[in-house]
Amino acid sequence: MNKRTLEGHIFKAISYIAAAITLLALVGILGRITLEALPSLSLYFIITPESDVPGLGGGIANAIAGTLLLSILSTALATPLAVGTAVYLKRYAKPGILVRAFGFLLDVLAGTPSIVLGIFGLLFLVYYMKFVTGGFSLIAGTIALTILILPVIERAAEGAIDTVPSELEEASYALGASKWDTVRRITVPFALTGILTGMVLGIGRAAEESAVVILTAGYTQFMPEFKVLPREGFLFGMKIYPFQDLTAALPITVYRSFEFPHLIPASNGFAAAFVLIVIVMLINAATRMLLWRSRIG
Amino acid sequence: MAQITHYFLKMNPDELRSKLPHLLLLTCVLATAAITLFFIAFIFKTALPVFESQGLGFITGTKWSYSEQVYGIRIFIIGTLVMTAVTLLLAVPLSVFTAIFLSEFAPVRVAGIMRPTIELLVGIPSVVYGIFGLFVLENIFQDHIDPFLSGTLGFIPFFSDPSPNSGTGVLLASTILAVMILPTIIALSEDAMRAVPFEYKEASFALGATHWETIRKVVLPTASGGILAATVLGMMRAMGETMAIVMLLGNSAHIPSSVLDTGYAMTSKILNDIGYYCAMDEPRSALFGIAAVLFAMEIIFVAAARKIGGKL
Repeated sequence: MNKRTLEGHIFKAISYIAAAITLLALVGILGRITLEALPSLSLYFIITPESDVPGLGGGIANAIAGTLLLSILSTALATPLAVGTAVYLKRYAKPGILVRAFGFLLDVLAGTPSIVLGIFGLLFLVYYMKFVTGGFSLIAGTIALTILILPVIERAAEGAIDTVPSELEEASYALGASKWDTVRRITVPFALTGILTGMVLGIGRAAEESAVVILTAGYTQFMPEFKVLPREGFLFGMKIYPFQDLTAALPITVYRSFEFPHLIPASNGFAAAFVLIVIVMLINAATRMLLWRSRIG
Repeated sequence: MAQITHYFLKMNPDELRSKLPHLLLLTCVLATAAITLFFIAFIFKTALPVFESQGLGFITGTKWSYSEQVYGIRIFIIGTLVMTAVTLLLAVPLSVFTAIFLSEFAPVRVAGIMRPTIELLVGIPSVVYGIFGLFVLENIFQDHIDPFLSGTLGFIPFFSDPSPNSGTGVLLASTILAVMILPTIIALSEDAMRAVPFEYKEASFALGATHWETIRKVVLPTASGGILAATVLGMMRAMGETMAIVMLLGNSAHIPSSVLDTGYAMTSKILNDIGYYCAMDEPRSALFGIAAVLFAMEIIFVAAARKIGGKL
């Protein structure tokens, strides 16, 4: 065997080993989390809020409800803004320095360390805007998370619009359709798959975020309530539940097993982590199935 | 207001129908820009008083004391930088070779299974990596890896173990961070390698180069921009990470003397203290100052990544 073939074999072996290490590390972590979660994982644990269990830990229904509310509401807020922005940038704006500057701004927003966004939320939304948001609350958390996932959905929507064949749009214009009709009837429907994927990415990103949520939504052991109570010092003199109320989230439940190691068993934290990962993966898989079926039909 | 209403009333319905969506979409863009600019301005404006009172000492100083009103963040900056550097040393070679495996060597079916698996793992929350590192890896590091490293390589100061009774420290934090950013760097590097035109490789094969020589002299140089951008992206993620680092780096305010020593990162300092000092003007400004420095570093890296031409 000559030197060149030998070198090839050595580096091929290194590549195989690197891939094996990566796969082992990632699968090992998932497996170990599942294993550590098993002692706490039960139907009771999942459907009981922490407030119904004596002491700390023991139930995560409050956190599951909070995480779903936070991630779905923030995606619902961010999507129209993100898709509108993407459509304007791709179909209405004239390319130039302004569009490039705007792209840079979005990249900066996308790369923002979450703690920076977190303390912005804490000071501006929780502290200064307390009469509107009610302090640590679902609405403060939702707004902060909206800012976090806005660039995620916008980038996905831009990518999706790029895949629309220009022949389709030209055909629409040739038939005398206006710009808005073409965007509404051709561009957006064709890009819908990519936009939906972006929304799922947004939901996942919002569901797994911890630093922003802990500084804006706080934590509560209780399930979200739906009611309105009169309250001094609030906008319109009333407090609207659950929007102006504290909200729990699964990542914070996980974090609490670190904060209170002697009060909450570690397996509780791992079980909450396991449920969180399963929720994110289920949403992901469901969307893929949905898109796959709609493409066949 | 009346003028605006008048402006719309004057138009005929067709004109209105074409102008209104345009305005609506423009509003989306302006709102997004306004939110982002307000957010950036808010951070830097809240941080301004501490830069005025501390001057350059804010970045070079090593003393942080609320009672003496002295704020220097060199310890935290170096903590973050050391941790990020060790993370990249661990993550980049592993992910680049994994990406080479996926794009060049792996059978189609193996790559078809591995790729979505790795993509799925991007979705593991950082706080989960944190408790995994703390409850599972810390014991292993304390009992096996730290003693082994300081025993065999301890004569190099870089590998001595100043805290034999604890597994937390730079190496533990960096190991977890490396696993955390692996999927990102692998996916983006592989995309870059796959984007290399097949003709380039065919030309190299035709000249008699072996597969590895083609990878090293054709594929890697062509894809280097994308790989570099992926690395910058992973680095930004490691620098900005908060939850896992608070749990794993040890949070002791000194400059780490070796990779097994503890340290304190910028993000951890903000998270640990902001809850107590949010209501006090000066300490709050100091904590926002850390965030402003971190943010400025990030903006520079974003600009660099765009210059390289990677897609964020």
